Formats: sequence, C-alpha cells, structure tokens
Amino acid sequence: MSNIIGIVNYGIAGNIHSIKKALEVAGANTIIINSSEEFKKADKIVLPGVGSFKDAMQELENAGFIQILKETNKPTLGICLGMQILSTFGYEYGKTKGLDLINAEVKPILVDEKVPHVGFNHITIVNNNKLLKGIENEEFYFMHSYEVVNYTNIIALTEYGGHQFVSAIQKENIYGVQFHPEKSRQAGIELFKNFIEL
Amino acid sequence: MKTRIIAKLDVKPPYVVKPVHFEGLRKIDNPSQLAKKYYEQGADEVMYIDIVSSLYQREIIFEDIEKTANELFIPFGVGGAIRNIEDISKLFHIGADKVAINTYAVQEDSTLINRAAEIFGNQAIVVNIEAKKWDNWWECYTDCGRIQSGKDVIEWAKEVEQRGAGEILLQSVDKDGRKRGFDLDLCKQVVDAVEIPVVVASGAGSLKDIKEVIEYARPSGVAIASLLHYDVATISEVKTYLRDNKIEVSI
Repeated sequence: MSNIIGIVNYGIAGNIHSIKKALEVAGANTIIINSSEEFKKADKIVLPGVGSFKDAMQELENAGFIQILKETNKPTLGICLGMQILSTFGYEYGKTKGLDLINAEVKPILVDEKVPHVGFNHITIVNNNKLLKGIENEEFYFMHSYEVVNYTNIIALTEYGGHQFVSAIQKENIYGVQFHPEKSRQAGIELFKNFIEL
Repeated sequence: MKTRIIAKLDVKPPYVVKPVHFEGLRKIDNPSQLAKKYYEQGADEVMYIDIVSSLYQREIIFEDIEKTANELFIPFGVGGAIRNIEDISKLFHIGADKVAINTYAVQEDSTLINRAAEIFGNQAIVVNIEAKKWDNWWECYTDCGRIQSGKDVIEWAKEVEQRGAGEILLQSVDKDGRKRGFDLDLCKQVVDAVEIPVVVASGAGSLKDIKEVIEYARPSGVAIASLLHYDVATISEVKTYLRDNKIEVSI
C-alpha cells in the first residue's frame, strides 16, 4: 500500500522543513501540498502551523484549502497551531472561525506562570490511542500561548503552572497535538512512526 | 516548570568562536558538528548567534544555518544581522524555529518586533539583549557588545514584551566568556520585570554558577557556551547536577 504523507503548505505560517525531515527519519514518503490538486496524491495529511489563528485561517482560505480539509476522510494530524485550527473558533486577534472538525475553542492559557509555555513537558494519557502508543511516559516540546478548550475528544493532558490543558485530541481519524513532535527528540519520531502506521 | 538548558553557539562563519567580553575570538569548531554533539548530549534547544554579520553590515550566511538545522530534532533559534521580515521568513524556511533580534530593533526600528510577532507568532520572536552594567543601571548594547544605545535594559525588556516578543535572551557584556558567574541582579530584575520567558546567558563557568542563577533569578532557561565548548561539562552532566540539587530539568 502506498503511504504518502502530505504536509500542507499555506503561506508563511509553518515550519515545514523540520516536520518533513522528522517524518522522513520516521520512514515516511512525504510530499509538500501546495495546491488543492496535490491533496489527491497524499494518503495522510499533516497540518503544521506557526503564527496566529487568524492568519492561519486567512492563509488556508487564500490557498483554497478550507473545504478540502473539512471534507477529507484521510487521517489528519494537526501540530501546534495546526491542532488549534481544527477547532470551531479561535480568539487570537479577534474571534475567528476554525475548521470546526473538533468541537472546541482556542483561548489564551491563563496561568500564574510565564507565557508562552515553552519547553519539554510530560503528557498524561486520558484515552488510549494508537498515536501515543509506546510514548506515554516521554516528554514533548511545547511552544504556545493559547490552548484548545474541549471536553469530549481529549486523548492527553499536560500540566503547566498548576493548570491542566489539552495536549492531544482525537476524533475518528483526525488527530491534533499541541506540542511539536518534530522538536521532541526520539519520542517525536516515534509519534510520527505511529501516525505513519495508522 | 523545568528550566531549559540551551547550548549557545556564537558563530563567526564558518566557525563557532568563543569571545571573551565579546572580544578576542577563539575558534572552536564548525556549528553543525557542535550542534549535533549538544543535541546528543540532551540539550533542550540550540541557539545559533552570528556575532559578526551585524557589525560588518554583512548579509546573513544561510548555508551554515541550514546545515546546523538539519542535525537537530529540538528547537533551533537563530540570531545575528536580522533586519527585515524577509530574513526571518527565510530563516524559518531553512529550519529555524525562533529568531533572535537585537541591533536592528534597538538602533533602527523597534517595530520590527511587532511586525514579526504578528506574522510568525510571539513564541517565534526572541529579543536578544546585551546588557552593560553602570553604577545603578544597565545599558543595552548591540553588535556584540560594541555599540552603546542609551536604552535602559529593564525598560527595554518591558517594551519588547509589549511589542510582542515571546522571549528574551539576556546576555551580559561584562560577564560573557569570563566563566566567573552570572550578573545575578541583572538576571533577577529582568525575569521579574516581564511575564514572558527569559533565558539567561553569559557567565557559566561552573555547574555551581548555573545552579546559583536558577535559584536566585528563576529564569526559564540558561544558555551555556564556554562550559560546553571547553569540555568542562556536558549537557547531561549539567542536567544531572541540577536534578541532584532539586532543580527540575528535562532528562
């Protein structure tokens, strides 16, 4: 079976280089998706994201990707902002509609600690799943100021400054991780291997 | 929160060098090899600072940066001679996760911080502050400790936070490369002045110096250069020592 991972490239928002590199180390064949047509070539989709919720949605719209992402039945993994925009709404630079693949809202992390939350941190699995299998006790790299607020699709939580936030979500074959697997040493490579094998 | 331990590479392309007081450069090794070594030792991040291009008004040399990025599966920050959004965009494209801005924001146009944070997100924008101590204040320097700005470090730290910086890399012109400990009061005052993470650099000469600055100033991270370059300690030795002294680190 062909198993090609397509990394969605939309404007400036996304560090595609390091995700591609880490996926390849994990054994994936990758393509960069630059146009609507190229979604057809991918068996699975990785949605990266660096920047703000509002900009990311704007760029996806400019690229003509929103409907495709909403309707795809291919396994999809959102990373960091790419996870956040799977939600219904985001509140970064005003209220913005997300992809609404997962019933959630994205709000600022409110803790009595330094924000952005930056650095390696543990995850606690709350629902067993294939994506995080075998890496339950590892640490992952976080770099974010907003969190996904959701109650029904949580697969992992992380504690920061005495507050628990959602660090991974899943709904059917849509996955999202708040941390950066591509920046999480060997544990991140293992996560990508799990995604490749889904 | 776990204190991040960051390997800092001061680069005069094509070599990592180690300045003393930001002067008297000693050649160490090429950046990609060192970065790989520190990654394998367990560094939480690597910070690559081109320390000469800004002063010589030279363009950023992207080739060495890309080569270094390719060795790493941890966050990679890049600074030195960043003047515009195009530079930043290109750095992200070749594998940087954050950029550190200094001279241009201090001397030319501080709105570069706002513009960059809006486009790339505040977590990706680091402001590099080089502080020089005077009687009862610290002054921002640029170009590797050579050019004065008249700006007060604490005020500038607050200003860059307001402008959207997601992190401060704090260096001391007086302490850098001397391996005699950090400017503890500087570190504490900057950490306490802002809500965003502060990574302190300049002065780690021993494991004890690192422990001392973490306990006194509670920075989010410590950036280490000489200690690693001269094989005084490895990253894993630093982390083990800190953990044994009840400081939380990622091991």
